[in-house]
Amino acid sequence: MGEPVSVVDGLALLRAAAAARYPDVQPELPARSRGVIALFEENCTVCMLCARECPAWCIHLESHKEPVPPTHEGGRPRTRNVLDRFAIDFALCLYCGICVEVCPFDALFWSPEFAYAATDPADLVHERDRLREWMWTVPAPPPWDEGAGPAPEEPG
Amino acid sequence: MTDLLPGARWGRATGRPLADVDPGDWLASATALRDAGHDYFDLLTAVDEQEAGFDVVVHLWSVPGRTSVLLRTRVPRAEPRLDSLAGVFKGAAWHERQAAEMFGIDFHGHPGLDPLLLPDGFDGAPLRKDFVLASRVVRPWPGAPEPGQSSAEAAVGRRKTLPPGVPAPGTWGSP
Repeated sequence: MGEPVSVVDGLALLRAAAAARYPDVQPELPARSRGVIALFEENCTVCMLCARECPAWCIHLESHKEPVPPTHEGGRPRTRNVLDRFAIDFALCLYCGICVEVCPFDALFWSPEFAYAATDPADLVHERDRLREWMWTVPAPPPWDEGAGPAPEEPG
Repeated sequence: MTDLLPGARWGRATGRPLADVDPGDWLASATALRDAGHDYFDLLTAVDEQEAGFDVVVHLWSVPGRTSVLLRTRVPRAEPRLDSLAGVFKGAAWHERQAAEMFGIDFHGHPGLDPLLLPDGFDGAPLRKDFVLASRVVRPWPGAPEPGQSSAEAAVGRRKTLPPGVPAPGTWGSP
């Protein structure tokens, strides 16, 4: 429970929090803002982990197998998985970020882009092309916060 | 405060004192806490503890004292009945209507246990953990295809990966 706020203090707080003039003025978003999930398609191996971990059931993947001819004489032909569809239904997405966390190949990223409202929920299903465009809006990782502990993967 | 409730087991939860009482002491315990100053009713809710029964929890505040207390009891799953607190705190009546419809708990002495949020004719207690989420059962799970498989192939495939939290077909509902 916080300390009580007097009426005078409360009015001062309201003045301080005056709304910025969006959309004329773009908002300054904090680091790691969760605006939309972007896809870096080249890294996706269609392992299905994101679609299986998603608690909202909002990630849809389709893929097929393609034969890969042997690379040398006497070698065996192999197959590889080819992505046919990657779609995220942002009408269902709860922005938990489990898919971004769970992706073992760094194919999913948070982008701060938020301006993709739609009047029909069906228009919030975004396919691989749109998800890939958002990839170019993904910012570099922010510097460590003050007082942050050492990264577990860094030695010493 | 601990000597207010004879027979209560005291502990702490979420940074405040928590008293566990027998269902028979429920009404008397809430009344004693109210009369001792915790007279602001914040909330009443329930927790499905499966075989162990249902926990019913009440959070009370003392506005001048700026302190709060949790009161909890456990009712058996086979016969989830408890005395209503609507006569102690009028505001508890709505919370009990919600706990009744969501968990199927009967509040004895309640002035009118009509459903509060669920639509007319809704069957079942949706916050019970054995309640099957129909919307999940009727939708195909997007995680079903194996890598390199289309969802159409997964729908007819022999090997089925099952989504977590949704019972396998044939293990629930009427045959």
